[in-house]
Amino acid sequence: MIKITDISFNPTAELEAFTNANRDAGAITSFLGQVRDEDGCVNELYLEQYPGVTEAGIADAVSKAKARWSLTSVMVIHRTGAMGVGEAIVFVVTAAKHRRAAFLACDYLMDYLKTEAVFWKRQKGTNGTEWIEPRSEDYKDNKRWST
Amino acid sequence: MIKILYFGRLRENAGRREETLALPDGIVTISSLKQWLNTEHELDGALDDPSVKTMVNQMLIHDDIDLSGNEEIGFLPPVGGG
Repeated sequence: MIKITDISFNPTAELEAFTNANRDAGAITSFLGQVRDEDGCVNELYLEQYPGVTEAGIADAVSKAKARWSLTSVMVIHRTGAMGVGEAIVFVVTAAKHRRAAFLACDYLMDYLKTEAVFWKRQKGTNGTEWIEPRSEDYKDNKRWST
Repeated sequence: MIKILYFGRLRENAGRREETLALPDGIVTISSLKQWLNTEHELDGALDDPSVKTMVNQMLIHDDIDLSGNEEIGFLPPVGGG
């Protein structure tokens, strides 16, 4: 399930629903990304998507993960719009028979989401407003999967 | 009609998120449309920046292509990740 929403979501409730729907999975891994305050310098994060294109890109990454690892189910929830410090931005949950596939697929999907996913990110804080691009570490992380 | 979408910082450069227009006279390719938009919205060549990707009908294009006048065109600055 892929959901891109401009409404804040509750990761705990989403995880509970996912777990209940995947009772047959032996392993469930989740990753939650939330807005950092950067030592009080960030007030708001704004994410923009290209409707249709963004979701298609994530769906493709999920398909690649499913082809690479044996997964029972995958859930990706991604926020758009304005978010305050501490709000959930992205939630990835992977279910598999065994833990390794669940861990690796979750890591893989997060690397895709941090570097290639079609989102534009604007940060508003004490230093003004700026558009953010992936860090070199993010690209390096993502390259791990190309071998 | 052509629907043009500007994302990220390009939205601020162009002063709009999207616009719908008839293909201007003499504009028949994506490269000539980009040139026209650069002048029309005083974008200072922002659309020609090599980091800006162009999508036509939600497909990434790498070469110049002819336009029929009914496309959706997206101009995408580097993505910022989630």
